[in-house]
Amino acid sequence: MATEVILPRVDMDMTSGKFSQWFFQEGARVEKGEPLFEIETDKAAMEVDAPASGVLRGVTAKPGDELPVGSVIGWIYAPEEKYETRPVLAKTASEPQRIAPSSGEATHREKTSTEASPGLRATPMARRLARERGVDLKEVSGSGPNGRVQARDIAATERPPAAAGRAPLHSVWLRQGQGAPFVFLHGFGADLNAWRPLIGVLSVARPILALDLPGHGKSALAGAVDFETIVGAVEASLKDNGIGVGHFVGHSLGGAIAGAIAGRRPGLARSLTLISPAGLGPEINDAFRAGFLQARAEETLAPWVRLLTSGETAYQSAMMKTTLRQRADPRLVIGQERIAASIFGGGAQAFSIRESLERLTVPVKVIFGRDDQIIPARHARGLAGAVALHLFAHVGHMPHFEAQAAVARLIEEAAAAGDALSSS
Amino acid sequence: MDAPVRELTFAQAIQDALAIALKEDERVFLMGEDIGVYGGAFQVTGDLVERFGEERVMDTPISELGAAGVAVGAALTGTRPILEFQFSDFSMLAMEQIVNQAAKLRYMLGGAVSVPLVFRMPTGSGLGGAAQHSQSLEAWFAHVPGLKVVEPSTPHDAKGLLLAAVADPDPVLIFEHKLLYKMSGPVPEGPYTVPLDKAEIRRSGGDVTIVASAIMSLRALEAAKVLAEQEVDAEVIDLRALRPLDMATIKSSVKKTTRLLCVYEGVKTLGLGAEISAAIAESEAFDYLDAPTIRLGGAESPIPYSPGLEKAAVPQVADIVEAAAKLARGRI
Amino acid sequence: MNDKATAGAARTAANRSAIYDRLSVDELREALRKMHLIRRFEESAEDAYVRGLSYGTMHLSIGQEATAVGVCATLTDADTITSTHRGHGHCIAKGADVARMYAEFLGKETGYCRGRGGSMHIADPSKGNLGANGIVGGGIPIAVGAALSAKKRKTGAVAVSFFGDGANNEGAFHESLNIASIWKLPVVFVCENNQYGMSMSAERSTAVKDVAARASAYAMPGVIVDGNNFAEVAGTTFEAVDRARRGEGPTLIEAKTYRTRGHSRSDRNRYRTKEEIEAWKRRDPILLFEAELEALGLVLRDEADAMRASVENEMAAAIAFATASAAPSPAEVTRYVYSDEAI
Repeated sequence: MATEVILPRVDMDMTSGKFSQWFFQEGARVEKGEPLFEIETDKAAMEVDAPASGVLRGVTAKPGDELPVGSVIGWIYAPEEKYETRPVLAKTASEPQRIAPSSGEATHREKTSTEASPGLRATPMARRLARERGVDLKEVSGSGPNGRVQARDIAATERPPAAAGRAPLHSVWLRQGQGAPFVFLHGFGADLNAWRPLIGVLSVARPILALDLPGHGKSALAGAVDFETIVGAVEASLKDNGIGVGHFVGHSLGGAIAGAIAGRRPGLARSLTLISPAGLGPEINDAFRAGFLQARAEETLAPWVRLLTSGETAYQSAMMKTTLRQRADPRLVIGQERIAASIFGGGAQAFSIRESLERLTVPVKVIFGRDDQIIPARHARGLAGAVALHLFAHVGHMPHFEAQAAVARLIEEAAAAGDALSSS
Repeated sequence: MDAPVRELTFAQAIQDALAIALKEDERVFLMGEDIGVYGGAFQVTGDLVERFGEERVMDTPISELGAAGVAVGAALTGTRPILEFQFSDFSMLAMEQIVNQAAKLRYMLGGAVSVPLVFRMPTGSGLGGAAQHSQSLEAWFAHVPGLKVVEPSTPHDAKGLLLAAVADPDPVLIFEHKLLYKMSGPVPEGPYTVPLDKAEIRRSGGDVTIVASAIMSLRALEAAKVLAEQEVDAEVIDLRALRPLDMATIKSSVKKTTRLLCVYEGVKTLGLGAEISAAIAESEAFDYLDAPTIRLGGAESPIPYSPGLEKAAVPQVADIVEAAAKLARGRI
Repeated sequence: MNDKATAGAARTAANRSAIYDRLSVDELREALRKMHLIRRFEESAEDAYVRGLSYGTMHLSIGQEATAVGVCATLTDADTITSTHRGHGHCIAKGADVARMYAEFLGKETGYCRGRGGSMHIADPSKGNLGANGIVGGGIPIAVGAALSAKKRKTGAVAVSFFGDGANNEGAFHESLNIASIWKLPVVFVCENNQYGMSMSAERSTAVKDVAARASAYAMPGVIVDGNNFAEVAGTTFEAVDRARRGEGPTLIEAKTYRTRGHSRSDRNRYRTKEEIEAWKRRDPILLFEAELEALGLVLRDEADAMRASVENEMAAAIAFATASAAPSPAEVTRYVYSDEAI
């Protein structure tokens, strides 16, 4: 059998070589191992030895030919072998498969008018919110460094200009997420930050909106200070924040406001969790109200703060700090005194939400501490049967601090039940 | 947890794990420099040599490359070696066996073998060891497919991760921060494992996600207390697993808080924080970012000797507080 | 060429006869057959390479067959070996299937390493071959580890570390011999001194004339053998293996041999003379062994021819199998990085 003479690969990355010259002619006798032809590579000229002894025939390569590695360029026949012209065999080596570039997961953002113009700075979150709400980013002024538009700036654009004479309430989205949001309403004398420890242990991924009530925290007090006006201001703020439906959680005065709103706006509240709510009975600890508001220093405030809880809690110092901070602002002090005089004047609660609660068909939870010294727990008696009543022993007026984990669970339960009911 | 719980130091917890592994599985043995009668440079192995004998607790000569290769060969052929590098810095001498051999043998042999060994690495700065005894090289190893890399921050996790590593059929590197060895924490008695691929949320919060590991996890928790007084509610994630990273937990957290701060002791550039930030930016969490992703990492220098410089070279609690507060207030 | 101490010459002559008592006729014939198989495998691999049918590079051990087969003839499947980047010969000598080897060489899924290792990482753990290694000196400490494991588990197995003259200057070589010695491990270190690293001769690179001279620095016996003589290699290795199994510790064997091909196919042989290459070609280990067996009447001429023909068939079948096999799927590029069944 004749032996093939092939153009060899001599470098790892060589795929073709340049044929240089034959040292023998067609029909010549060659000996195995002696140089038969020469090729040129990138690096140097190389002699290639004859792979067998015999007669060289069927020579095809010519000087200067660029040939793929492995090409057959001639044959060596044993002396007694019959020579037949052979067709030049096509190179059988296959090209390594080219792997088609993967299409990957192309996440195309649709080009809308809200796409960034040169120079516009906006966070990814802000861009998404703008996209979703059809807001033109170029029209939004950014509160971040270098004028960067942040999520809160998008939320801010959605509030219609405040009606004349009405100051918008300070509100904060404490958490983003999916689904019907929580709305947290704090109690008298506190502000929205009082909710932070509780929210820290809430495990659900809902958005969370908290408001500062009129005359509290960063909300100004404008207009009348009666219960109805306060409720109205809160309702308006909910509208400004785009709340069409939510799970309401209120403490003390905030609880009363939540109950009132739920009653007059059916469908707005999907669930209601009222923690030591006002508005279920006339009694309120008037001495506390007066002393609490008058105290300006730690020593005079401390005993009233201790009255809020049953026994020591870790949060008392935080409560003290928050309260004293509010005392430092004379407008807040005056405003809260006016509110107190209006709705708690003469030691009695001047409003009731009992009727509102009677009308509700959504899940309602009322949470009281048995040791509540501010609003007596017995106010919870006599509510409609569908209202779930949770009474905690050894807990005072601040169950959301004193029984934080349990209260968090109850809030989540109410919300889950409310969602299930609304989707059925 | 039904088993009684004792207060142990990080080092004691590791020793506890080693003792359990040696007792429960006769294939397990320890190798390292000065781990026998000396008890180990950080007194982790302690009296194990008296309890289990020199055949199970083997002092090696100062031959990191040789010892690492011996560990590979032993692991390939039916035993479960645990090799202690006296300082993670010395693993540089053994990189060939760790990266070219241990990490790759299973793959290069098409799955026909596995390399069930554990390399223990005392890591980090803060004891005045200076440049060649203080490095944090976790990211280098976490970069290598075929290795698994973990880094506990509590005695509980140190024990559980080591026991999980011993049981794992693949090579596992455990980085033990030197400043943690003397810190105490609750450790259940008896065997238990901690998953090699899960981060742990040490503190829930809503305003900013802080991702850290080892001593930085503890610093992040201290910072979170300070931040709470400033009304910034930080969520602290203790990574524990560096390869693989538990990106699911981090993503979920960032979607909730919209702000990410990575804190790590390794040099900042091209380190763990760079990977986490990039992975977040590539993920669905991108659309929830309301601020740049911030990294606090080691300085661009070798670890210095002078104590003030040494502290300045790596993130401290105050740095974490400042960065997280700025992030939360939209001032970065 | 070879320098042998007279004491060494006397010992090797004694070993030469001892081997014919220790190995049966079948085992001796099997050894010759394996040497032929290695030669034909290497030539086929070379052929595939020059035709551009294989990928990457390869390192041929043509001319070194007696060392691979001579050492492995003393081992069982329970004994382990680690090998070098020039590992095809060791693999076949340890009992591998050339079809699966060739498939690995062509990068196919049916190869020993599922196409993921290639020529430089070829392995057959089921026969105790822990693998060829792309790092010079990479396999030496691994073999020591395997010996440690065997000692701990009391299996009686030994580990053999094959390495070249280049490796004896790597730190890993020195650390491994020291550890094996202080722990008296059942490992045999076999240095195939083919006189050259890539282009640097052993003479220019190594401070001592013979690698075996380094054994005394690690308190173990160091023996020089003619690496092209099967009987000498096998005889000396038996001694070392027996010593190891008796618990007396490691041995360093230096097999003086030669590779007639370049270091790898890119090698242009500029660092040695044609005369040197020709001289060694005349000492072809296969021809030497075949002649010796024929002289002893253990193999007849036509039996030897039949052996060659059978080897040809085996190689042809291997090449056909490998060529017809599929390449691994790109979708599985990360498969086998980790074990799936983590506890």
